[in-house]
This record gives sequence, structure tokens and C-alpha cells, in this order.
Amino acid sequence: MDVSQYLEIFLDETSEHLQSLSDQLMILENEPENEDTINEIFRAAHSLKGMAGTMGYKRMQNLTHDMENVFSEVRNGKMKVSSHLIDVLFQALDALEEYKNTIQETQDEGTNDNEAIIKELQQILDEGTGASAPEAAPADSAKEKAEEKPQEEAAADAAGSDDGDQKWKSVKLQEHEIGVMKEALGKGMHVYGCTVYVQETCILKAARAFLVFKALEELGEIIVSVPSAQDIEDEHFDFDFSVFVVSESSFDQVKSAIMSVSEIDRMVGEEIKANSAFLAGAGAEEASEADSESAKASEETAPVPVQQTTTAPAAQQTTGKKNQNAGKPVVNRTVRVDIEKLDVLMNLVSELIIAKNSIVSFSNAVSEGTNGFNEQIEYLESVTTNLHESVMKVRMVPIESVVNKFPRMIRDLSKKLNKKMELFMTGEETELDRTVVDEIGDPLMHLLRNSADHGLEPNDFRVQNGKPEVGSIFLDAYQDGNNVVIEVRDDGRGIDVAAVKAKAIERGTITPEQAENMSDKEIIDLLFLPSFSTAKVVSDVSGRGVGLDVVKSKIEALGGDVSVKTKLGEGSTFAIRLPLTLAIIQALMVSVGGEKYAISLGSIQTIENITNDDIKYVEANEVIHLRGSVIPLVRLDQILGVESQRNPEDDLIVAIVKKGDALAGLVVDELLGQQEIVIKSLGKYINCSSRLISGATILGDGEVALIIDANVLI
Amino acid sequence: MDELKAIGEYDTTQYIVIDIGDEQYGIDIKFVENIVRMQSITRVPNVQEYFKGVINLRGEVVPVMSLRKKLNLEDDEITNKTRIIIIKLEANAPIGVIVDEVKEVVTLENSSVDSVSRSSQKDEISYINGIGKTGDTLISLLDLNMIIAE
Repeated sequence: MDVSQYLEIFLDETSEHLQSLSDQLMILENEPENEDTINEIFRAAHSLKGMAGTMGYKRMQNLTHDMENVFSEVRNGKMKVSSHLIDVLFQALDALEEYKNTIQETQDEGTNDNEAIIKELQQILDEGTGASAPEAAPADSAKEKAEEKPQEEAAADAAGSDDGDQKWKSVKLQEHEIGVMKEALGKGMHVYGCTVYVQETCILKAARAFLVFKALEELGEIIVSVPSAQDIEDEHFDFDFSVFVVSESSFDQVKSAIMSVSEIDRMVGEEIKANSAFLAGAGAEEASEADSESAKASEETAPVPVQQTTTAPAAQQTTGKKNQNAGKPVVNRTVRVDIEKLDVLMNLVSELIIAKNSIVSFSNAVSEGTNGFNEQIEYLESVTTNLHESVMKVRMVPIESVVNKFPRMIRDLSKKLNKKMELFMTGEETELDRTVVDEIGDPLMHLLRNSADHGLEPNDFRVQNGKPEVGSIFLDAYQDGNNVVIEVRDDGRGIDVAAVKAKAIERGTITPEQAENMSDKEIIDLLFLPSFSTAKVVSDVSGRGVGLDVVKSKIEALGGDVSVKTKLGEGSTFAIRLPLTLAIIQALMVSVGGEKYAISLGSIQTIENITNDDIKYVEANEVIHLRGSVIPLVRLDQILGVESQRNPEDDLIVAIVKKGDALAGLVVDELLGQQEIVIKSLGKYINCSSRLISGATILGDGEVALIIDANVLI
Repeated sequence: MDELKAIGEYDTTQYIVIDIGDEQYGIDIKFVENIVRMQSITRVPNVQEYFKGVINLRGEVVPVMSLRKKLNLEDDEITNKTRIIIIKLEANAPIGVIVDEVKEVVTLENSSVDSVSRSSQKDEISYINGIGKTGDTLISLLDLNMIIAE
């Protein structure tokens, strides 16, 4: 069966279910008796199992099946939730996640059976239910199934060869099944036998069959189904299956219930009366039928399964190989877009067309005057600005998808490090460009691990120092102007500046003389240098010295920056500042030495007119004193290697730019105005050594202007 | 099949012949994306010396280098014949090369291309991976990977 077109949906939904499982498990760990949660987990596990089965991912299905079994026992009150159980379940989740990733990359689930986890789940199941049900139930039922299967399959396959539609009539009933039916008839209920045909074009036939079963279960009870419910769920059937139902409803009700399921072709069947030969003479009839059928069956069934088993894996293997060769995910990355955002977009596009049309009509009647023309231009401008904003918004996704895996991570860390800690998150709904969201996961994880491992003190140490025993880590995200700030904060020991200094000197990163003159902030910034770790014990979690410099370079690659605030004994805060979007920004256009440059408006604080007398000197560097702060001046003409076209006697035009708390004044020749610019890359060949130029943009007249990254100059 | 064989037997490559100073150079046509007239180039500060800057090529920002500077010749003198050849060695990474003049397209049989004798190596010769002949003129075939690399 070709299910590749459903792969994307499958992966999306699997991710959702896994996330929900993870969330619910976290809750369950704290409230082992929470019934809603247990039900929710059961449902998610069940859906996962069904989906994996439909898609033909057997290993994934097996694992979820066992998880579901465990929860079914928990739900029935036969088992208690233990912390060991939660651990194993989390392992199972990780294994499922792995399957999902493998599927995403290769379209195949891989070959890892995760037997250890399955075994452990079984063991828990046996132990947990052992007390109330001394006979190992799963083993029993499995045996039973094993016994039933061959018969049923033979019957089903034999039935398949029967030309008549009423396949249910050839189903061989067991003694006890007939007993149940007779009993039901005795109580005045109806028994129906029927065969349901699924449309041959139906792709998720197992799902359809499942819906039929559900519909029937609402009306009554299914006594027998051929093939067995398990086989149907595994999609081991062609396009029909037969069921015997005991119900109080009329045959028409049953029929309409079945037919209400979509993609069901037809159903045939009838009521079985108490005096029906089907029940009474079942034995005799079957004996003869079974003989002839089993003969037929052996002829027919033998080659069929063989063929199926050989072709399917072969096909899977080849596709698997092909995809592995390609080496990248077979599924495209998608953004799920809120329909409202698309509506806005659509409206804007229609407005744009209207504006264009009116301009066209104006150009035809331009003799009437030009006032209206300007109006239309302004209208067009406002439409395009809004259009761009909405397109940007479509690319925006909440950071939730990244941060919601962190509570789980902190839980694991807490166990691993043997420290009690809690994670508090706010602002998960903050939105960022999809490309940025995809990339910030790792840096944030580094920072959180850092806080958990280095930041928070051991519990006893905290108690001694009068702090709450349980350490707190905070992850706060919020929007700040054109930026999004994500802070990772802990109430741990803070950064010991003296220790960092000593370490830096010991490593030869700085000389003792240099250290003397460095501010605390500069010392802390040393932590972001490659291979610099102050952890005394290198642990499994962090402290290999590959943390903060990676964080820094990654964030800078995204156009953001990282800063640290810390207070010894009270904790530290790592703040990541990221631009809202990467593609289009509002910029101030300036000219320097006759060349045009763009500076991101987001980083500009004010524009000042400075007389030459205002310039002071600190250590031979030009500074200005402005509203209480001393701001270093940066002569852009010198940095860009051009001659300023301004008279040196004239006042200076200075753009005050800001990066975190630091300020700088960029001296420019002329201000050209504000403009929305589209950022283009300079390409890989040009090596801008100072990283001063972050890109280029094309102006209205077709000229290329370079974009100055003011952050580099501060 | 027959066609393929025919091409294989001839084994020819087409080159665009360009003038730089008195010499003629050939650029493998399969890497040439476009040839445009000289246009205004935006200087990019603090970059490799042979990079003239960037141009706007139909909405794309494309870096432009001077072949003369790369070959250690005197700087370009912009004339009516000056052209920028847009080269694409890999997808999404076009680069422009300024040349004095674009002459013609020639088809050279690969067997007629002489390899560069290593003994006569000068500095710039490492940018050339063969010498072709059409009639009496010699064409130095540029090794684009070397030209564009650092």
C-alpha cells in the first residue's frame, strides 16, 4: 500500500501525540492518581498505535501496543504508577521519537526493535497485575490467539474464494460463540451476521474497519469477527470482513450505523433467528464445508502470504536505500498556518490589485492632474507594507514547539545530577521566524543544562545557605521592539568572577596585568571563548567546555547576541536577543563618502547633531557626553575606507546605536531617510573580514546598498 | 544511443573567448550563466582586493571580481567593450568576472588542448589548466575553480 502521501500528516500527528504523551507523563509523575491524565495517555498511546499500524510501521506499533497495555491496566486500577514505570515509559517515548526521526529521514522505521524496553514493560505489566490476576493474562490470551488464528485465517481465506457476497455464512463458529448467541437470543436480543465491504480505493481501511467496530459497539456487542480484530487493526484483510453482533437494535439500525462510516462500499447480512440452521446445524454444516474449504484454502492461501511478505519488505528496502542515499529528510519542512493569517494575506493581495488597477486608470487619464496619483502611490505603499508584514507573520511560529521539550529534559537532569530542581516557563507563545525557531533549540538546551549543572548548587548546600532546597530555573521569552528576548535564569550560585579570572590566567587566556584592568563584565565574557569551562568536575551533562562558545556563535549566526548578568550567590541570567525576522527590516539609509549604507533601525536609538566642541577624548578615543552617558564615537568614513564629503568644521551627524546596555555613536555624512529593505546575502565568495557588512539590499533605483551591522562596532 | 556515442567520440568543449590585455583566455561555456554590460558596482569595504564589489543582477546581489587583479595585471580600464561574465560553479552562488572584451565562442576538441607545461610556471599560470588553439591564436583556458577560490 502506498502511504507516502500520508507520511507528512503521520509525522505531524506523531509529533503531537509524543509531545502530549510527554506532557501528560510529567503530570502523572506528580499526580499518579490523576485519572484524566491516565485516560489522556491511554488515548494518545492508542492513537499512535493505530497510526503506526496503518502506516505499516510494525516495530513502532509493537512498542506503543505494550505501552497501551500497561496503561490499560493502570486505567482499570489494577496497577499503580511507580516512578520506575515512568522512567521506562520515558525511555519508550525516546525510542518512539527515534522511530519518528528515522522515518522522517528514510521513510522507513529502521531495524531497532527496542526489545529491552518492551521486555521491561512486559515485566512491569506482569509484576503489576500479578497480585490481582495470578495467571499471566497476556501470555494466555496470546496462546489463545495463536490457536484461533490458523482456523480463522483458513476460514477467512476460504470465504474469500466463495463467490457469494454473504461471506459471513461460511464463517466457522466456535462452540462458545454459538453459546453466547443462543444466550442473547434467549434474553430477547437480536443476533446479526453480516459482511462489510470497504471500498477498494480506500487507503486507511484499518481505520474504516475500526470505525465500523466502534459504531457496532455502540449498538451492541461484537461476538465474532473474521479476520480477528487484531488482524483487522494490522490491516491483514482484503476489502471485507465479517462480524457477528448481538444487539437490541433492529437490523436496519445496525446497517445504517455501518453505512454511516465513509468509504464503506456495502454491507450484506441478516438476522440469525433462534431456529436458524446456522446455529442449530452449525456442526454438521461446517464439517462438510470445512473439509472442502480447507482443501481449497490450502491451495489458495499458501502462495498468497508468501508473496506478500516477500514483496513488501523488498519494496521497503529499496525505497529505504534510495532515500538514505539522498541523505536528507524525505519530508519537507512545513509551517502550519493559522487560517486567519492567510485570510489577511488574501485580503491584502486583493487590495494590491485594486491599487494597481487604479494606478493603471490614472496613467490613462494623467492629464487631469497629479494629486490623485500621489494618493494612489501612498495607498499602494501602505498595502505593500502590510502585505510584507503579514507574509512575515505567516513565517512566524511560536517557540512553544522548541521549549516544550525542556520540562522533560530538566526532569531527567534532575535525576541524573541528583539535584532537586524545577523549571518555570513563560512566554512560550512568543513568535519567531520559523528558521530561527528551528535553530534556537540547541543553544537554549545548552544554557539550561549549564544552569542545572553549574548554576544550581547541590541541595544540601542550598539549605545551608538559607535557600529553598529545590532549585529554580526560569525560561522567559518576550518580545522587545523588533527583537525577541529569551532569558534563562537560575537562582543558583551565580558566576564567581574571581574564579573565572583565575582560570583565565591559569590557561593563559589573559595575563595577570590584563586581568587587573578588566571589568567584571569583560571577565564574564571570557566564558564565551572556545574551550573555557569553569566546572571543577567535568560531568556527563556539561562542563566539557564546548558550551557557551557554541551558544554564542549559533546565536550570532542567527543575527542575535547573548549577554549575561550574574550576582554571586543569587544566580545568573543568560539573555538571548534575536531579531524578529531575517528577511526584511526597517532601516535608516545614510551616506558616507558618497556611498549609501543601511543601518537597521532596530539598533538605532537616537540621531544627534554634535558640534566639534562636544567631542572629548578618553584614552585618545573620541567620545561624546550625552544625557549622562559617555558614548564612544565611531567614524564610519575611516572604518569603511572612504573620504568624508563633509566639511570638518561642520557639526557632526551621529546615529546613536545600542546593543544591550552598550552604546556607540556612528558618525555619518548625511541622513537619507527611513526605508524598508530586503536583506540579500553577499554570497559566499566575498570575505568581509570584520563582519561589518552583514548583507546588501537593492534600492528603488536598482542600486545596491550595503547593510552595516552596528553590533560589530560597539 | 547513437547520438550519445557520436558526442562521446568527438569529445569537444565549447569555450567563450575573452580578451584581457593582449592575451586571449577561454572560459568553459557550461559554467557561464550570463554576460552583461558593465554597470555600476557597489564597493564593499574590507574585502579581498580583487573584489570590485557587488552588482544588482535582476534583483539578485552578485559579487564581482576583477580578473585582471586576480592575474596580477594592472587595474581594469572600463571601455564600451568591457563585460561582466556571470559564472555559476554551483547552484545559488553566482559570481561576476570583469573582462576587457568578449570575442567569440569556439569549439575545441579535447584532444587538441595542450596541458600546461609545469616547467614554465609563472605565478599566474596556476589559474590555467590548458592551452587551446584556433587557427594561429592560442587560448589559455581558465581554471575557474582556481580563479574563484581564495
